Amino acid sequence: MKLRELKLKNFGKFHDKSIQLQDGINVICGENESGKTTMHTFIKAMLFGLERGRGRASAKDTFSRYEPWEYGNYYSGELKFQSNEKDFCLQRNFDKYSKSVKLYCETDGEELSPEDGDLEMVLDGLTASSYENTLCIGQLHAATNQALAAELKNYATGYYMTGDSDIDVSAARAELFEKKKEADREAREMLQRKERKREALEQEAAHIWRDIHYMDSELKEVELELQYRDVDEVEEEPAEEVPTSRWRVHPLEIVAIIGACILLLCVLPGPWNSLVTTVVIVLGIIYIWNRMKVGKRKAKTEEVAEELDVGEELISTEKLRWKKEQLTNMRKEKQIEYENLQESLRELDHMSMDYREVDRKREALMLAISRLDMLTSEMQKQMEQVLNRKASAVMEKLTDGRYSRLVINDSLHMHVWHENQQIAVEQLSQGTLEQIYFALRMAVADLLYAEDYPIILDDTFAYYDDTRLERAMAWLAESGRQVLLFTCHHREGELLKKMNIAYTDIRL
Amino acid sequence: MHLGASPDAGKKYSEKRKNEIWDSFRKVIEVCRREETDLLLIAGDLFHRQPLLRELKEVDAMFGSIPHTQVVLVAGNHDYIKKQSYYRNYAWNQNVHMILSDEVSCIQLPTMNLAVYGCSYYEKENQESLYEQIELKDICRYHILLAHGGDASHLPFRKTVVDEIGFDYVALGHIHKPEVLIPNRMAYAGALEPIDRNDIGAHGFVRGILDPSGCRISFVEHAEREYVHLDVPVDEKMTGYDLHTRIDELIGQRGVQNMYCLSLEGRRDPDVAFDLSQMDTFGNVLEIMDHTRPAYDYEKLLGRNQENLLGRYIASFEGAEADSTEYAALCEGVQALLDTRREQT
Repeated sequence: MKLRELKLKNFGKFHDKSIQLQDGINVICGENESGKTTMHTFIKAMLFGLERGRGRASAKDTFSRYEPWEYGNYYSGELKFQSNEKDFCLQRNFDKYSKSVKLYCETDGEELSPEDGDLEMVLDGLTASSYENTLCIGQLHAATNQALAAELKNYATGYYMTGDSDIDVSAARAELFEKKKEADREAREMLQRKERKREALEQEAAHIWRDIHYMDSELKEVELELQYRDVDEVEEEPAEEVPTSRWRVHPLEIVAIIGACILLLCVLPGPWNSLVTTVVIVLGIIYIWNRMKVGKRKAKTEEVAEELDVGEELISTEKLRWKKEQLTNMRKEKQIEYENLQESLRELDHMSMDYREVDRKREALMLAISRLDMLTSEMQKQMEQVLNRKASAVMEKLTDGRYSRLVINDSLHMHVWHENQQIAVEQLSQGTLEQIYFALRMAVADLLYAEDYPIILDDTFAYYDDTRLERAMAWLAESGRQVLLFTCHHREGELLKKMNIAYTDIRL
Repeated sequence: MHLGASPDAGKKYSEKRKNEIWDSFRKVIEVCRREETDLLLIAGDLFHRQPLLRELKEVDAMFGSIPHTQVVLVAGNHDYIKKQSYYRNYAWNQNVHMILSDEVSCIQLPTMNLAVYGCSYYEKENQESLYEQIELKDICRYHILLAHGGDASHLPFRKTVVDEIGFDYVALGHIHKPEVLIPNRMAYAGALEPIDRNDIGAHGFVRGILDPSGCRISFVEHAEREYVHLDVPVDEKMTGYDLHTRIDELIGQRGVQNMYCLSLEGRRDPDVAFDLSQMDTFGNVLEIMDHTRPAYDYEKLLGRNQENLLGRYIASFEGAEADSTEYAALCEGVQALLDTRREQT
């Protein structure tokens, strides 16, 4: 593509200003404030449009900056260019009332419709960002050498890793990672919710289980009592005939034992009496103790029966039987309830539609990250080879072989080679850094665009010494591209004249 | 009927949904009373799980309140007759007839000159095709089959084979969605109330008249609410507020009493992230699935970024199906790459 004519009908300070451009090098020379930057903003605005910012931002945006000084509602221009050997004329109105864009193919005499993407087709995929990053070269914007090297690296790594300095892979990766973390959290919450539901069900089941157990033990007691009564009923008749005394050991027995002791003590002679008496006392105590124990056991069973039936022994066996039936029924009901809950718990495992959705999202994010990593490293390898080679060629030319190779290694450290010595870019002078920057951009432009787009240089060579400037001019002339060189010095023109390179001189 | 079920019904209704199902059943009893219905057929799954004794008593009392109506029921795969089941020896009211046998048997209702055939489940599943092997007994004028199942693991049958047996009507249960298999001869009544969020559409019961001229049935909508799966169209211009308004509007049109599963479809503004937790105005939204894709024109993006990572990324997913994980990864990746683009100075 070649630019033929810029017509600034009303743009910034310019009014009806027209500039004819030729093939090869065009030196556009003007003093400070003569409108060089306006001119070069104009080209960009013509090619890619000029969007008005919104709100407060609008006060300082490009649109307002280049709003014409006079006749604010008339804000337009025309750009003639040649692409694929056809002449085109592009007209734009920027002002908000009559905003429009028109594109004519002058060779075919046909009006094209930029709204349907015809302009993009003619520009062959060139976008505003790639235009700014490759074709249009200003100076590196940084105050110190260190920061300059950093910016250069930033630019270069962008290209090396992504083929576009605007793309920030690590930030994109971080964003994906953040999203994945979010999805993980969501999945975890979902599981927790489910777990809570499960716990609630389990708790309910546990309650019922406890009830069942309680009923079981109660049933056992009732059954025991009933059994006891069954046995009792057989024995009851004789038991009633001999009413059991309130004494566990009959008082007569105790009197007899005591009497026997005294008798023995008196009757038996000498030292034997006390011994025998002691033996009898011990035997007596054992007998009484034994009787007491049997009595206690009996009392205990009676107590159990009393505990069960509030109405003491008076509760009828009939009522106990009824109670047993009641308990059995309740237990069965609880058992069914318990089993139903268990069934609900089992079913809980089947319902996880939401979870699957989140899972899929996580999977997608993981895939996105791994794919990005894979492509980045692939790209880096490829770009490394090609870009290193191309940029090295330019660099060698500019420095007359002083720096023959430009290398970016895997960890994205940038070096130049000088006489078998590797020098980190941080150690280079600002001028040389500018030259590496230039070399990289030229290499990228060469790599990315099949078509030769014009190169726009805005005071790019301010830090170049005369020798390197001369070499740069020679390189540009050799490249055969159309070059628009904006400068506030006369030395570029003079140098070209001295070198006998044909160029178009344009004064603002 | 699925009495005892408590399906998810959104944050407002879930609590009382269990009672609503009972209420709905009560209303059917009211209908029987009002219309002096002769016969009430319950084709299995009266209960969602094993019935408790008190629940059986409750239901029996309701049946007892309409003595004119003869009730015939079987146990389905949900309330199948376990060893401990109360169904086994529950003493129903006189007008209630439960077919307890696991082989197809028949109950005669001489007043109507009718025989009702059927069988109950004793397991959760039964893969025999019992219904196809029935032979009619020539004892009554009318023959009705009360069947539960029909899918591969629940008493499967071929409708033509069963139809050829010669029933006047086949009343089917198990499938929750009402469906007529053979007009006026064979139909699923469907669940009285929707039990699962996938039971979409109207629910109710089948009302029929059987007389010498044949059987005529019609479906009666009865459910209080229905589950609705709604696609919410989203476009590039929609903000979260717009979406919220749109959802409210759609739910308003379709009925606030219903329960909703929403699916956001279409392309959204890549810069907009919807906060889905804020969209449930009426408390009747069960879930919102966000199926929207950021409105990128991938072809255009690819065209503009042939040589860089973005272009390669898009190209690497070429041919991904719109519903696949790959496509989702494409969307996420492109969005991340574009979101983090360095600002142009």
